[in-house]
Amino acid sequence: MKAVIDWIDNRSGIRSLVKEALYEKVPGGARWRYVWGSCLTFVFFTQVVTGTLLWMFYSPSTQTAWESVYFLEYHVAGGWFLRGVHHYMAQAMIVLLVLHLMQVVIDGAYKAPRELNFWFGIMMLGVTLALSLTGYLLPWDQKGYWATAVATNLMAEVPIIGPAIQKIVVGGVEYGHHTLTRFFALHAGVLPASLVGLVVVHIYLFRKHGIHVKEPRPKRDSYFWPDQVLKDAVACLSVLLAVVTLTIYFHGAPLGPPADPSNEFPARPEWYFLFLFQLLKYVPAFWGAVIIPAFLVLWMFLQPFIGKTKAGHNFNVGFWWTLIAGSVALTALAMSEDQANLKHGAAIAEANWQAERVVEIATNEGIPTAGAVSLLRRDPENLGRRLFASHCSSCHRYNGHDGRGYPVDDPQSAADLAGFASAEWITELLNYDHYVSAKYFGGTKFKDGTMAKKVLAKYSEEERALLPKIAKLLADQAALPYESALNEEKKEELLGLFYNDDLKFEDGRACIECHDIDSEEEGYAPDLTGYGSREWLIAFIENPEDKRFYGKKNDRMPCYGRDSKLKSEEIQIVVDWIRSKPAQF
Amino acid sequence: MTEKEERTDDHKNRRKFIVTSTIGASAACALFPFASGLPSVLDPVTKKSGGAKVPWTKVTSLATLPEDGTPTKFEVILEKVTDAWTTYTNIPAGAVYLARNGNEVTAYNLKCPHLGCAIDYRANTNDYFCPCHNSTFGLDGSVTTENSPSPRGMDTMDTKVEEGIVWIRFQQFRPNIAEKIPLS
Repeated sequence: MKAVIDWIDNRSGIRSLVKEALYEKVPGGARWRYVWGSCLTFVFFTQVVTGTLLWMFYSPSTQTAWESVYFLEYHVAGGWFLRGVHHYMAQAMIVLLVLHLMQVVIDGAYKAPRELNFWFGIMMLGVTLALSLTGYLLPWDQKGYWATAVATNLMAEVPIIGPAIQKIVVGGVEYGHHTLTRFFALHAGVLPASLVGLVVVHIYLFRKHGIHVKEPRPKRDSYFWPDQVLKDAVACLSVLLAVVTLTIYFHGAPLGPPADPSNEFPARPEWYFLFLFQLLKYVPAFWGAVIIPAFLVLWMFLQPFIGKTKAGHNFNVGFWWTLIAGSVALTALAMSEDQANLKHGAAIAEANWQAERVVEIATNEGIPTAGAVSLLRRDPENLGRRLFASHCSSCHRYNGHDGRGYPVDDPQSAADLAGFASAEWITELLNYDHYVSAKYFGGTKFKDGTMAKKVLAKYSEEERALLPKIAKLLADQAALPYESALNEEKKEELLGLFYNDDLKFEDGRACIECHDIDSEEEGYAPDLTGYGSREWLIAFIENPEDKRFYGKKNDRMPCYGRDSKLKSEEIQIVVDWIRSKPAQF
Repeated sequence: MTEKEERTDDHKNRRKFIVTSTIGASAACALFPFASGLPSVLDPVTKKSGGAKVPWTKVTSLATLPEDGTPTKFEVILEKVTDAWTTYTNIPAGAVYLARNGNEVTAYNLKCPHLGCAIDYRANTNDYFCPCHNSTFGLDGSVTTENSPSPRGMDTMDTKVEEGIVWIRFQQFRPNIAEKIPLS
């Protein structure tokens, strides 16, 4: 072994190199306050290694980016862990950068003769933020897509060359394949390579001037090896442990639904950019994207000169603390505003639902060449709730929301259709108090109609006890997928009740007097033959003014089919969706 | 042992402990990034595959094949092919030579069992020839040259003829070994 090392040392001088690297003098002894630089080097090293491994699985194009990440996440052994480590390590890097920076500022290590190295540090901060920004677009999920769109639009704020910069970064006018190839080349090539270059210069300059010793010195001088290396390694291990804990706790990094420009999503950046996001609510984009950053950069470069006097140094430290406190405050504000916003919560819940849904379909059916977004776009479950939200929810509700979980601003003026035509739903409908409540016909003119005033309101105790049976009969007409059918005998019995064969209902309050089931005659009120069935509901939504339904008595229900407000496939999708699930009463 | 010697010993032990823990902690940090991705990188070897039944695929009608047994080349279009995340439908997955013998058909994979080049049928010598490393095969697929680079004859696969339609079970086999072992 020694002979081999001798041979190599003879030709490379490796021994003196290692010696020089390890036996750097640490005046005042090893201290915890010096660990941040090593931690950042370790984190960057981890990012390079895990990033390269992730590269083996990633395919940058609009039809394969999300898909390849999904495949890694759900179908490759340990893929979620690898991606999770990269994701949380990136966040640890931001935290450590701030700690390192503040250490340098507080200790005054930015002052002469270390100005140049301070500037290199600031540049590295910029490159790291750029790495984060380019990184979270790469999975091409809704969050990455919408958040990065905001970031690249901000680039256009730069005077004169802004729009050109934006086009160069985006690879065109619209987001597409070339946005991903460019962001990927930046994220995995240009930026890490620049960072490596900057790290080399940073460490060279650090070694040239030696460690900046914070007085008073607690101990005798010692060497980098092994005392300081031990402290550094323990700190790195702690970072590693924190990242692994986060990765396991959250089971890896989140992956939203595939990017879809037609599917709205509330754009929010990662938490470490939230302060900027919040700032843009108060200041014009030009200020947020150009003037303030330009001023900050200028100040950072002047900082070593300002810090020459004691007062100047205090000013620098104070200004950094103010910046940090301001960012924390803005971040907290952004978070609490979102927390208080029901629509934001619903949008996030909807995106989470879509993410789970698309993974479920992709796992069962595979992904076509058009990409995973096409799975969601043609999924009846997803389309149904979206169609309901945009065409039905201004009057109707679904479990009290708009079909997707969003609260609706307009007052409810028609029935809640969750569980429509189920035995439970009809039973409630036939109760006068419910019938005239907002959940059913309270918002329509039917609350003052014959059915309400002259029938439901007048039922005696005995008659009312029969209504759940009528509800069962009607629900059977609907043949809902989640309810079991009645047997013939039971159906006959209930039909007898409907036809009032045994005269259990008083005159004027029997169903058959206005509604029909299985008869040729035209009733006074909607025909209940096949009530709530797929065919009945499609025909109803196509034209509620048909004499089979409300006829001239229709309140405000639009004739979606007759007036071409919806295509017939769309009506079918909404109907199948409404009929697919019981209500959450 | 004098007190001084004891102190140096203590010092030595302490230093040894520091050095060992430093090396241990540093090594853990250095190895962790690689270890975190190892299962994923090794996934292709560790994932259990195979066991899936090779489906029957329609190739052509029997009538299109010359009755004298002259081989004819056909694309094999599979109904469903999965490549990582993508599921393709009806895409060409390879090609075969079909040779008719009465109402029976033999299918030879176009890929040379040596190293996977595409084999030609030579009409003038009425045999198969691989243009990469010069393996030659007879019409029955067997190796015809001595010292043939190919360790086995051309790969055949299951065929059946039903109502005038030729079906095959399209499969690839491990190259460059004497046995014919399906890839999985």
